[in-house]
Amino acid sequence: MAPSVGGDPAAPTDTAASQSAPDGSSKAAIDGAQTSKTSAIASSGKQENGVANGETKASGAEAKKRAKAEKAAKREREKAERAGAGGTAAGPQASEQGGQSSGALKPTQNQQKGQKDRQGEAKAQAQAQTSSKDAKASHKRTGSVSAANAQRPLALRRRPSQSGGQAKESKQIVKEVGLFGHLYNQPRRYTIEGASKAVHPAVLALGLQMSSYTICGSSARCVAMLLAFKKAIEAYSTPKETSLPRHMSSHYLSPQIDFLKTCRPISVSMGNAIRWLKDQIIHIDPDTDDGEAKAELCAGIDQFIRERITVAGSAIAASASTKIKPGDVILTYAKSALVEQTLLRAHEAGTDFRVIVLDSRPLFEGKNLARALARAGLRVQYMLLSAAPHAAKEATTVLLGAHAMMSNGRLCSRVGTAVVAMLAHARAIPVIVCCESVKFTDRVALDSIVQNEIAPSEELLLPSAAAGVADGGSLAKWKETPGLQLLNIMYDVTPAEYIDMVVTEFGFLPPSSVPVVHRISTERDVRT
Amino acid sequence: MPSVMLAPTPGIATFLKHLKHNPVDASIENFVSLLKRRQIRSSRPCAIATTHLLLKVVATFRDRDVAKLVERIRSVGQQLIAAQPREMAVGNIVRRVLGLVREIAEDDADENPDSTSMGDSGYLPYSNLEPSGLPTHFSNFSPPKHGSALPQKSGLSQSDSNGGDDNSGQGAVAVEKQLDRRPPLLTSHTSYVASAMAPQVTSLFGLLSHPHTPSPTATPPLGTQSPVMKPGLTSRVLATIPDASAAKVDIKAEVLEGIRELLDELDQADDQIAAYALDHIHSNEIILTHTSSTTVQRFLLAAARKRKFTVIHAEAYPNDYLETHATIMQGRQKSAVGDDEDERWSPLTALGITVIMIPDSAVFAIMSRVNKVILSPHTVLANGGLVAAAGALTIAQAASVHKTPVIAVSGVYKLSPVYPFDTEELIEYGDAGRVAEFQDGEMVESIEVVNPLFDYVSADLVDLYITNLGGHAPSYLYRIVADHYRAEDVNL
Repeated sequence: MAPSVGGDPAAPTDTAASQSAPDGSSKAAIDGAQTSKTSAIASSGKQENGVANGETKASGAEAKKRAKAEKAAKREREKAERAGAGGTAAGPQASEQGGQSSGALKPTQNQQKGQKDRQGEAKAQAQAQTSSKDAKASHKRTGSVSAANAQRPLALRRRPSQSGGQAKESKQIVKEVGLFGHLYNQPRRYTIEGASKAVHPAVLALGLQMSSYTICGSSARCVAMLLAFKKAIEAYSTPKETSLPRHMSSHYLSPQIDFLKTCRPISVSMGNAIRWLKDQIIHIDPDTDDGEAKAELCAGIDQFIRERITVAGSAIAASASTKIKPGDVILTYAKSALVEQTLLRAHEAGTDFRVIVLDSRPLFEGKNLARALARAGLRVQYMLLSAAPHAAKEATTVLLGAHAMMSNGRLCSRVGTAVVAMLAHARAIPVIVCCESVKFTDRVALDSIVQNEIAPSEELLLPSAAAGVADGGSLAKWKETPGLQLLNIMYDVTPAEYIDMVVTEFGFLPPSSVPVVHRISTERDVRT
Repeated sequence: MPSVMLAPTPGIATFLKHLKHNPVDASIENFVSLLKRRQIRSSRPCAIATTHLLLKVVATFRDRDVAKLVERIRSVGQQLIAAQPREMAVGNIVRRVLGLVREIAEDDADENPDSTSMGDSGYLPYSNLEPSGLPTHFSNFSPPKHGSALPQKSGLSQSDSNGGDDNSGQGAVAVEKQLDRRPPLLTSHTSYVASAMAPQVTSLFGLLSHPHTPSPTATPPLGTQSPVMKPGLTSRVLATIPDASAAKVDIKAEVLEGIRELLDELDQADDQIAAYALDHIHSNEIILTHTSSTTVQRFLLAAARKRKFTVIHAEAYPNDYLETHATIMQGRQKSAVGDDEDERWSPLTALGITVIMIPDSAVFAIMSRVNKVILSPHTVLANGGLVAAAGALTIAQAASVHKTPVIAVSGVYKLSPVYPFDTEELIEYGDAGRVAEFQDGEMVESIEVVNPLFDYVSADLVDLYITNLGGHAPSYLYRIVADHYRAEDVNL
């Protein structure tokens, strides 16, 4: 009975529960996989129902009434059964009139019986609904009812201890932070299990590398993706009936992109690169030979990487390094490839300066940057973000990397960047962002909540906790603690007023010029 | 976690046990070494340990002379403060006890008609603040100095205090020369003796005319609450008190009583603060906090019994995150201080409160949705600023950007009369190995790693202080300092 009413175990009121009856499957999104599966079964059960009857009218109120009646009928039947009354002749009548108050408890009780039971129940329910609909007032279809009843005893084994425990269990399931609830449907994939056959092995490998943070960072992921696509394109052959420009994008490239998206949400730079690539594909002359077309595409990809990322990066490093004066103390956060390039460039030019690298949990990207700089001979200080005010006391310039620049001038970067920018701004320290134009986007952002990436909470656990070691103090049992949620966002948005300058391959810009430059750089790629 | 320990970790529990069975001086040594080795940390354990220690010091004090008692407490206090100057709670308690002794002795002197109820101003002006060991620069022309009285150069009970006296003494001479021209004013005080004893004046005129006397109307009149100024306590005055042994025993008993009350205050501080919780938290609020502070947790628990809200808890990595995780998961299972049974409290999640744990980097990102911030300081300073665990300044600044109110909860025992001339001095640095492990050879060799334990948050970033005496604006704290401490004790 429960599944068809709606897989929502947390239904606090009867009305909510009964109203969710017709569209129970949609409500199951919040709950775990179990309930979503059962509601799928439930909806299929209902379809059986409708087909069998032939009287499924689309009237919502009617359907609701019917569902209520069915629910009540079923409850009465269960009650009668449990009381041992056998043939439930009087059951449906009585049930249709009342008895809905007990409904809230019963569906939730049954939730725990496991999938198989629910499947059985759903089928039984379908039959029962059929029979109750036809019967209306009197009900003599003992045959079907008893058949349904025969299946029910398994499902109805009552465990009194569980009636009270249900409420607790429903609370425990909420491990998603309410404010970010819309972001929890972003999947993460750690195995290639279930991947489509169409995905090229290079892309498979890349996907896993991205989800495990082996390849991390906006530019790095963009380049890696394009190189993997190059390999995939080389392995492509156009089917007979169609031409490359028409077929490749939607039938070959899309599965690869979708696979990457399931591994980890793609970055803005990757999105821009994909848009550019698809545009390139569309503009290929259908008459060109496959081999030629593919070579052209690969050359185009190489040129894109060279122009928009490699050369752009080196131009940015050159211009930004002119902003580093002798005696400077440069403050940076986490690891940005561009900032690293800039600092190394300035160091090679002989400028005497030192660097403070700030870092944070859980990725600790700043450690890698600190090591790389120290290896190159720079004077490096390493601190955690809690020491940021202390670092800001000595800093003369702040250099930041970007994940994306939004069109309202805000910087989207690793979570914690906004903290550094705010502290620098409070002390009137110039904040310089190094960002290629491929990271510019049309989107605008006002906060870090509407658009963000939520990483799995398990990444916040300390290694011993993650391994399940029952250390009393650690968060090993966080999943069982009701009301406890761990929030692991990956990006934050820095207000434009904290940023003094953006360095792009086109030169130095104020953050307000980002949309203008974005237009220019996209127009340049559009072939008219 | 080992359930059987061969020897208990040195800390406040071992110290209190040690105190019960050993002579006072040995206990002082023990406490000093605990402080130096940072085996006893954070304000509350230090305050409790100091109070117990001073209780024993006073209890075992044999002499009859109140001045000697003051001296004894001062010397013990100096030892303790020198052991760990950044553990301000120790100094606060010592100063509280000293103030208590002085007050009781004065009350006794008042009742005793033989004593001259008016003595020379043994007062050091409030301006003469120079905590021992912490270098400060003190300008002779600073405002507190100008309006207030200047110290006499005659031999006072403070003659053995360190060099701070000399600086202010020189300044006093300079200003004296400019100002002592007009005759002193008559006041309502009964015994106006000749100028050997400085007359009491109650007006600003008199203040400027007779710079030797501290004015009771100048702010703050430390240690006095009545418009008529109480006489300072000097060795001269005390020497003139007839040696009534009965009165002395009373004084000692009263001092012990007062210290026990102080202990009670320390025990009840958290409860009293928690009593104000419902005045400040409404339903469906989102409250941000950080670190594993008991005071904050009990404050929130008190509100959680009646209201439903959400708490966002920033783990304070790297110094407090394990304790924060433990606090979030289990609350407090056993007390760290003594064998108090009511030290246990359940975690917020057990009361149905949603707790969201975030890493410190996400503070700015979620601040726009936070309704208020609750911080727990390590020390509160007289100018309204506070020293709190690292990360507090980031949170307070982010809150001020988003116009989110910041509340600091602390007992009055954390309030220090020391003015932070150099805020750098207040920051303690901790184990760099927590930031980058020592096993990481590359980092250890070539990279400098710093781990500050505290942040100084200035008064303009804090909106409200909730203490066991109620809620106050940061600008009111100087009054509370004046109520609890004496000017002559500030410079130990």
